[in-house]
Amino acid sequence: MSASAIVQTQSLTKTYAGIHRVNKVDLVVGEGEIYGFLGPNGAGKTTTLKMLLGLIKPTEGSLRLFGQSLSKQRPFILKRTGSLIESPSYYGHLTGLENLRIIQRLRNAPDRNVDEALRIVRLENQKDKKTEQYSLGMKQRLGLAMALLSFPKLLILDEPTNGLDPAGIGEIRELIKSLPGRYGMTVLLSSHLLSEVEQIATTVGIINEGNLLFQGTMDSLRRKSSTSITLKTGNNAGAERLLLTQGYHPVQNNGRLELGDLDDAQVAGINRLLVAQDIPVIRIEEQSKSLEDIFLELTGKGRSL
Amino acid sequence: MNLLGLEYFKIRRKKIGIMILLFLAVELLWTFMSVSRSIARNPDHAVWESVLFTIASMNGLFMPILSAIVVSRVCDMEHKGNTWKMLAATNVSRSRLYAAKYICANSLLFFGLLGQALLMTVFGLVMNMSDAPPVGMLARFLAGATLTTFAVTALQQWISLAVKNQTFALSLGMLGGLIGMTSGLFPAAVRHVLLWSYYLDLSPVTYRYADASGVYVSQPLDYGWSAAAFIIALLFYTAGNLHVTRQEI
Repeated sequence: MSASAIVQTQSLTKTYAGIHRVNKVDLVVGEGEIYGFLGPNGAGKTTTLKMLLGLIKPTEGSLRLFGQSLSKQRPFILKRTGSLIESPSYYGHLTGLENLRIIQRLRNAPDRNVDEALRIVRLENQKDKKTEQYSLGMKQRLGLAMALLSFPKLLILDEPTNGLDPAGIGEIRELIKSLPGRYGMTVLLSSHLLSEVEQIATTVGIINEGNLLFQGTMDSLRRKSSTSITLKTGNNAGAERLLLTQGYHPVQNNGRLELGDLDDAQVAGINRLLVAQDIPVIRIEEQSKSLEDIFLELTGKGRSL
Repeated sequence: MNLLGLEYFKIRRKKIGIMILLFLAVELLWTFMSVSRSIARNPDHAVWESVLFTIASMNGLFMPILSAIVVSRVCDMEHKGNTWKMLAATNVSRSRLYAAKYICANSLLFFGLLGQALLMTVFGLVMNMSDAPPVGMLARFLAGATLTTFAVTALQQWISLAVKNQTFALSLGMLGGLIGMTSGLFPAAVRHVLLWSYYLDLSPVTYRYADASGVYVSQPLDYGWSAAAFIIALLFYTAGNLHVTRQEI
């Protein structure tokens, strides 16, 4: 295990009725990172997070948090971990403040943490209202406050912006981004929204059908968004033959020739060559893959998220 | 103690105390009216044994239902707000949470039974029962009812925490009440398998039919059946604890 990894799993697998919900996942979350765990609904995100918290047992594989095995050092690990899994948890007949008091007593946290958590999620004015009267967004904020209350070293958030309005999403996003710097937290958050992860995370893991398809920094994912030159000519077959003789590797696709990443001089040379051979050049286009294209490519094109 | 205190904190506004009070008030009113009528018909029934026996048999009906409701109220809140998952993700062990809930529910029911014993004493004094209050018998009645309640709540807590739909646990409580009420009609071998019948079996008084009438008879403390009730409680508690703490959430 790497020295600074807060979370590390090896071949983590969870099987239900012979189906791998999570399949040999090797997750590595470094200290101080905001790790975006991205994948379509039903990809295995929540199952993985639940295994990290000991709520469900892995079928195979091992997991270590803070360098310790969860099965052996469960209290040590969970004392340093705050979480919000699936829908927010709350006692509906109690007020927001009373709900936080429960966590405070469970975590042996000081009173000032309660005030701070309420302030952070902006629920100070609603703290004396019964939580069953809260809106979904307020419940989500309360769930976040409960997860934050002990200011843990590791914060695990499952779809933290669910149920929030756009302004609330923005606020929570800024809050999460500030946590490593302000409180020294490491954040592992799951989402099915690429745009959300793109704006928050420093590191990303993409999971689909239980398989971890990509893991790396956000920048390394962006680097996958390479550009490609496509041509449309009056005689694509002739152009293809000609370019093959010149050492290019064109691929016909949807009435266009895809030539991969070329520099400006090469594009100009190809244009000159085709025109000289009397092949009319109709369009020269530069196409770059967006992160969404990469995500869809990794998780299966055309699939609804 | 912190966790037990937390359980009491969590049940605020649940009105469990008032519910226990009303439930036992109905039971006691029913019992006292029945005993009063019995004494009016037959002055020989103006003995402490009549109150103790009637309450013990009524407990067979009321206590399983009341236990099911109380345990359900204590456990259901964890299902409703998905809080069991939240608690399990903290550094507190699920076994300790399970124990805290069990102690909380039983302490509430114990205070109910204690109140019952006190009101029985008051009723006996008001009705000018023949002797002084039989403290030993009252203590044995309280111990027997408490021990049986421990067994019933152990089963109820297992069901209430393992199965989200509380209809199941409450139905079991009602079934227990039915069995508890009619347990005197079962053969001893069958009766001792059914934990709800111990309200009557561990009572210090029983009723013997002789020709057309019957008499209240003190029965000695049966260590064997007391141990059986304790073992049933222990088995259900251990099985429930193991199941619930290992259950995937």
